[in-house]
Amino acid sequence: MKEQDPIVFVIDDDRMIRDGLQSLIRSVGLRVEAFASAQDFLGTKRPDTPACLVLDVRMPGLSGLDLQLKLRDAGIPIPVIFITGHGDIPMSVRAMKEGAHEFLTKPVRGQDLLDAVQKALASDRELRQERREANEIRARFESLTPREKEVLELVVAGLLNKQIADQLRMSELTVKTHRAHVMEKTQAESLAHLVRMSEKLKTGTRK
Amino acid sequence: MVRRTSASSGVGVVARYALALVLVTLALLISLALQHSFGNPFWFFFSVAVILSTWFGRTGPGWLSVVGSTMAVMYYFTPPIRSFAVTPSDLPYFVTFVACEVGATRLISWRRHTEDALRQARDELEVRVGERTVELKNLNEALLKQMDEQRRTEATLQATQSELARAARITTIGELTASIAHEVNQPLAAVVANADACVAWLSREHPDLAEARAAAERATQGATRASEVIARIRSLITKATPESSRVQINRVIEQTTALAEGQAAKNNVVIKFELSPDLPAVLGDSIQLQQVILNLVVNGIEAMTSVTDRPKLLILCTDPEGKDQIRVSVRDSGIGLNEEVMLRLFEPFFTTRAKGMGMGLSISRSIIEAHGGRLWAESNGSSGATFQFTLPTEDRPHV
Repeated sequence: MKEQDPIVFVIDDDRMIRDGLQSLIRSVGLRVEAFASAQDFLGTKRPDTPACLVLDVRMPGLSGLDLQLKLRDAGIPIPVIFITGHGDIPMSVRAMKEGAHEFLTKPVRGQDLLDAVQKALASDRELRQERREANEIRARFESLTPREKEVLELVVAGLLNKQIADQLRMSELTVKTHRAHVMEKTQAESLAHLVRMSEKLKTGTRK
Repeated sequence: MVRRTSASSGVGVVARYALALVLVTLALLISLALQHSFGNPFWFFFSVAVILSTWFGRTGPGWLSVVGSTMAVMYYFTPPIRSFAVTPSDLPYFVTFVACEVGATRLISWRRHTEDALRQARDELEVRVGERTVELKNLNEALLKQMDEQRRTEATLQATQSELARAARITTIGELTASIAHEVNQPLAAVVANADACVAWLSREHPDLAEARAAAERATQGATRASEVIARIRSLITKATPESSRVQINRVIEQTTALAEGQAAKNNVVIKFELSPDLPAVLGDSIQLQQVILNLVVNGIEAMTSVTDRPKLLILCTDPEGKDQIRVSVRDSGIGLNEEVMLRLFEPFFTTRAKGMGMGLSISRSIIEAHGGRLWAESNGSSGATFQFTLPTEDRPHV
């Protein structure tokens, strides 16, 4: 997977604001795509690259908050920077709870928005990196046989070979062989590394 | 009345009786003096004394002069002379004299009486005419004052009505504060974003003048839009005296609805326009017409807040109506109007909203009627209501 140029999506129904934000973001050399409505945004194909969304909360049709929920439900993890004309508390709380990256009130100071955009892109880049790593780890873990997975579970839980052998009703030697395969297939450098990877995988799946 | 009182006063009475005595005495003296040269002139002189006494002294002195004359004639002029006796042969002559004197005093007294009665009647009439004249003058003044007062009351009433309309406008605007704040803030946000973009393009290592210029132009547009919104709101708040001018109703509708757009968006209401393109102008006060439309739009949005099972749609429609009218209708898909609400809809202080004042529709109706039009409501059957009003076009004079 090759990292492409990051992209910023701007969604605002007010043409003048949309043009202004687009121009502002473009001026610092970032790629921008602007949409007049949430529907328009959902209707376009998005490139696989770090991105963030600059979103007006109040829009006719699908509102900013609706779009945020839709993206979350569709499993599209993209950081959202909300812009609102009336920063009422319940709305911002709701947006932040749903994982909004930033909540800015109109009129937005240019530098504030650019800072928020940079932070959001950095965070997306990091998340993508993490996801990529998690995917790799998952692929490695997926290559284990069911028996090896059982051994892995108990190793990570901190059991000794002898205890594992007792629990799985096999010889200690067999446990050692499985354990060696696990270490090899997951490319773990040490027991600590193996534990860390397995933790990452677990939190990754929970998310 | 004044003269009569003085005539019957004490001094007047004494003077009148004294006059009678003086006249009789005078008649006696003249008769005595002229007795030998002219025979018996007492007839004449005593008659004159009786007539004058009765005329100037009225009944009492008249009788006194008759008695005086009779005594004087009995004493001085009928035999036996210098005695109050009368010889039987002279009796008829003497009785005739007395009868003449009595007749004279009665006649003069009667004439005098008639004259007095006439004069009194005339005086009374004069007084009464004077009184009536004063009364009429007072009445006239009171009437003028009343008319003046009525004019002032009417002026006050009109001022109060337009003040009330203005108060209602301010209340409506108060309800729309959030919406209006959004309406002003939006262009300001555009100004800030574009100005920041302009600065950013200029601060690049190689400034991009074309981009900077485009951003600066958008900033100017945004500022213009903000000031237009503010001007529109200010005109709704400050002006209280209605003015009549040519009004293009479609323009009024578009301008006014912009103020409620934020409110509509917040409630997920979609506003649609079906405006007839070649409508004639109407004569009226654009601020008051804006108020009516704003009121109907806000009511429509409010009526749809609780709707969840169908699209929230507000349709504003204009049409020509007959030859010389236009019709504006505002149709919502809200909760509609039940019979009870329908009956009381236009009553002052009737409201179905918790925070409403209940003056909106009542004032709207009086505004439309003052413009020579009609405002009414209809139920849309299963969902929502339609509020419509007509206005006479410019060519037709106001009612």
